[in-house]
Amino acid sequence: MKKWISNHSQQIFLFAAMLAVCVALAMRSEYFLTWRNIRNILEAVSYRLILALGMTFVIASGVMDLSAGSIVSLCGVIMAVALHAGIPVPAAVALGILAGMGLGAANGLLIHYTGVNFFILTLASSGMLRGISLMITDGKPITKFGQEFIYLGIGRIGEIQLSVLFAGFFAMVSVPLMFHMRWGNYVLSLGGNKEALIKTGIRAGFYRVTVHALLGGAAAAAAVIITARLNSAEPNAGMNMELDAITAAVMGGTSIKGGKASVAGTVLAVLLLGVIRNGLTLMSVPSDYQQWMTGFLLLISVLISEIKVHKFRALIK
Amino acid sequence: MKKRILTVLAAVSCVAALLAGCGGKEEEPKKDTAKEEETSGEEEAKGASADMIAQVEEQMNQALGELPETGKGERIGILISSTSNEFWGTMKTRYEEAAEELGIEVEVFEASAEDDTQGQLDALNTMIPMGFDAIILSPIDGTNLIPGIVAANEEGIPVINLGPGVDMEALADANGHLDGKITVNFEEQGSTVANDMISRMKDGGKVAILAGLEGAGQSVGRTNGAAKVFEETEGVELVATQACDWDAERAFEATKEIMTVHPDLKGIFACNDNMALAAVRALKEMEIEGVMVYGVDYTSDAKAAIEEGTLMGSMTYSSTVYTKAAEEMAMLMIQGKTFEEPVYLPLTLVNQDNIADFADWR
Amino acid sequence: MQRNERLSTDLRKPIVEMRHVKKAFGYIQALEDMNFSAYSGEVTAIVGDNGSGKSTLIKILTGCLKPDAGEIWIKGSCFSSLTVKQSMNAGVTAVYQDLALDNCKDCAGNIFLGRELMKRGIFLDHARMRRKTEELLEKLHILIPDITQPVERMSGGQRQALAIARAVYAGGDILVFDEPTSAMGVRETARIMELFLDLKEKGKTIILISHNLFQVFDISDRICVIHNGRFVDSFLTKDSSPQKLNKLIAKKEEELGNEKMD
Repeated sequence: MKKWISNHSQQIFLFAAMLAVCVALAMRSEYFLTWRNIRNILEAVSYRLILALGMTFVIASGVMDLSAGSIVSLCGVIMAVALHAGIPVPAAVALGILAGMGLGAANGLLIHYTGVNFFILTLASSGMLRGISLMITDGKPITKFGQEFIYLGIGRIGEIQLSVLFAGFFAMVSVPLMFHMRWGNYVLSLGGNKEALIKTGIRAGFYRVTVHALLGGAAAAAAVIITARLNSAEPNAGMNMELDAITAAVMGGTSIKGGKASVAGTVLAVLLLGVIRNGLTLMSVPSDYQQWMTGFLLLISVLISEIKVHKFRALIK
Repeated sequence: MKKRILTVLAAVSCVAALLAGCGGKEEEPKKDTAKEEETSGEEEAKGASADMIAQVEEQMNQALGELPETGKGERIGILISSTSNEFWGTMKTRYEEAAEELGIEVEVFEASAEDDTQGQLDALNTMIPMGFDAIILSPIDGTNLIPGIVAANEEGIPVINLGPGVDMEALADANGHLDGKITVNFEEQGSTVANDMISRMKDGGKVAILAGLEGAGQSVGRTNGAAKVFEETEGVELVATQACDWDAERAFEATKEIMTVHPDLKGIFACNDNMALAAVRALKEMEIEGVMVYGVDYTSDAKAAIEEGTLMGSMTYSSTVYTKAAEEMAMLMIQGKTFEEPVYLPLTLVNQDNIADFADWR
Repeated sequence: MQRNERLSTDLRKPIVEMRHVKKAFGYIQALEDMNFSAYSGEVTAIVGDNGSGKSTLIKILTGCLKPDAGEIWIKGSCFSSLTVKQSMNAGVTAVYQDLALDNCKDCAGNIFLGRELMKRGIFLDHARMRRKTEELLEKLHILIPDITQPVERMSGGQRQALAIARAVYAGGDILVFDEPTSAMGVRETARIMELFLDLKEKGKTIILISHNLFQVFDISDRICVIHNGRFVDSFLTKDSSPQKLNKLIAKKEEELGNEKMD
C-alpha cells in the first residue's frame, strides 16, 4: 500500500488537486456541476487527450515530437483538400489518418537513422509541415465540408460526443497497449535503455518508427475533430498543441527521460487542466491566471516525482 | 506518510491559488478606471472630445433606429479575443461601464491569447449554459466560434457579432446564423488612412502595407481598402504587402527588409498600432526619417507616438459608443426587435494635425 | 594456422573461432588481425590491457558490431558478419560491461526482455514472469530483497547478478561475460564463480573477460592474451602462472614500444 502510494504520488496529487478544484468551483459557480457544463469540459478536452496520449507513448520511448501540432494542421488541410476534391468522407478521413501516421513515421525514421537530436529534427519538421500547410492553403482557412463530415466533430451518440467516446476508447486501449503488450513493453525499453533492446536482438528502429506513427495517427484524429467542429481547416490550427500535450504527459508522471509512463496520469492531467480552464472561464477570470496555473501545477507535479527519487537515493546510501 | 501530507499540501495551495485568482478579478476594473482618471486631465481638450463622442453617438443611434427601454437587469455574456491586447482590455472596461449606465448585467469572457482560437470556442461553449439573455462575441478568426454559435442558436440565445466578422458561408453551412452584427467597416479604415497618406504625398511615391494574421477579417479588410486606394491613385506604387501576424517582432523585421529593398519608400500602413510602432522603431534603428507610418486602434502608445511626431496617424473609433451600441442592440433584440443589416460604427482618423482634439477621446 | 602452434596437443575443433578479424572506429584500429578460439565446455579467459580490444571482440561475436574483415565461426558455421539475432540463435548469450539492463523495469521485466511469457497470445503474463524470476534468482542464490522495484534502485552488484541471471535463463550454451563481477563484493563474487563452475560442469562454454588475474587463474581452463587489437598468445591455464602472464604482457608492451620508435 505504502509502496503503491509512493509509486503513484503524482497521480494522487493530480486527483486530489482535481477534487479540490471541483469542490471550489462547485461552491463558487452554480453552473459548474450542470451536465451541460460537464459535457462541455469533456468535449473541450477530447482532442487534447488524444494528442496527449499519443505524446505519452513517444515520451515513454525517450524522445519528444515537437511537430505534433504541425501534423494536426497539415492533416486537417489534407482532408480539407480531399473533401473539396469530391472524395467521400470516409476515404478523406482515412487519407488524413494515413498521412498523419506517415508523417509521424517519417519523424521516427529520421530520429532513428540519422542519430541527430530529436529536438532539432522534430523542430525542423514542425516548421516544414506548418510551412506546407500554409503553402497549400495560401494562409487562408479552407471551409465548408458538409454535414456528414461536421458530424465527426459535433455528432453525439446519446448524450456523449463522438470525439469524447473516441478519446475514452483510446485511453482505455492505451493501458494494455503500453503495459500489457509486447509493443508497449519495447517502447518503454526504448526510453529506458535503447542499448538493452538492441543487445537483446530487438529491432529498435521498428518501435521508434511505429511509436511516432501512433502519435501521427493521434494528431490526425485530433485534426479530424478540430476541422469537423470548426467546419474549417486552418493552417494555424494546432499551434503549440504539442507543448500542451507534453505538459499533460509530464504532469501525469511520464518520465521526460523515457522508460516510465502513466496513462492514467495523462488522463488526469488533461482533465485537471480542462476543469481549470472551464472554471476560470465560468468565473470570467482573466486568462493570465490560466497560464500561471498550468505552469504552477506542472512544477508541483514534477517536484513531487523528484522528491520521490531523492528519498530513494537517500535510502540506498 | 510524509508524502501524503505533501500531496495534500500541494492540493491545498492549488485551491488557494484558484481562490486568489478570483480575488484578482474583482480588483481588475478598479485599476483600469484609476488609469483613466490619470490620463483625463486637460480641461480644454475635454470639450472637443466630448463633443465628438456625442456626435458619434448621435450617428450611431440613427444607425440603430431606436433606443431600447431602460435596462431591466438583462444578463448579457460578452466574449472578446484576449485582454493580452490592450485594445480588448479597454473594450472590456468600456463594456462594463456601458452596462452600468444602461442598468444591465454583463460578464466578459476571453481566450488565453490572441491566437488561442480553440480556447475562445471552449469559452463560448462554457457560456452557453449560463443562462445569458444574449451573447455579444468577437471571434479571433472567421470560423473558430462557429460550433458555439450553432449551439447558442439551438438554445435560442440571440448572438451579436461585434468587430471582426464570422465567415457567414461557413456558418450557414453549419446551419447557424447571427442575430445581429455591429462592426466597423474595415475597408473604410484602410481607405481613410490611404487617402490621408496620399494627401501628404504631393509627388506620389512608393508605399507598403504591413498586414495582420493572414485570413483574419480586420487584416484583409484594411489591406484591401488601402490597397484599392493606392492602386487607383496615379503616381503611387504599392511595393509590398507583408503579412506580419499582428506580431511586433515580425513587423520590425519586415520593415527593415522593405526599407532595404526600397530605400525611397514614402509611407507604411500597418494594420494595427503594435505593428505600426514596431515599424517606427525599425525606421529609427535604421536612422531613416521622412517615412509616414499609420496604424489602427489608437492605443495609448500610438497616441504618445503621434504626439511625439514619430507616428503619422492611427484610425480610431469611440469604444464607449461601440460597446454601448452593442449592448443597446442586444437589449433591443431581447425586447423583440430584429436586425437584418449590419450596423456600422462611425470612424475617425487621428493624425499629427488633429491630435490636440483627442485628449479625452474614449 | 599460427594459433595452433603452441597447442598441438589439442586436436579438438574450437566451438567459437575468429579468424583475421579487423575492426576500425574512424581512425582508431580497435582490432587488427584478431584471432581467437574457445573450446566447448571450457572457461576461456581473455586477458589484455585497457583498450586492447577485448570488448570490441565480444561485441563482434554477439553481433552488436560488424567487423570490417575476417571470419567468425560458431559451431562450424561461418559468418562474415552476424546480427544479434543470428548470434543468439547460434547459442551465444552475453553479459556486457554496461549490463544492457532497462533501469526502469523490474527484475522480471529485464530477465524476460525479448523473450516475454504471454497469455492469450498477445498479453504479457506479468504474474508468471514474476514467479519464474523468483524461482530463478533463488536457484542461482542471488539475493535481491524486492524484485518488483525498478533496476535503477538496485546496487551495482545486484544489477550485475541480475544480468548474469538473465544470461543463464536465456539458455545459450556459449556464455560471454565482460567484467561480470567488477561491482560485486567478495562474497557475491565467490558465489558467481561457483555458478560459473557449475555452468561449466553442465557443459556450457564460457568466455570471460576479467581484470582480476587471480579470478582468471582460479576458474579458467585457457587464457588468451591480446594486445593492441592483436592476438598475442594462447595457452592452457595450468601451464602458466600470474607471474608468467604479467611478464608476457610486459614484454609485449616493450616490443610494441620499440616498434613505434622504429
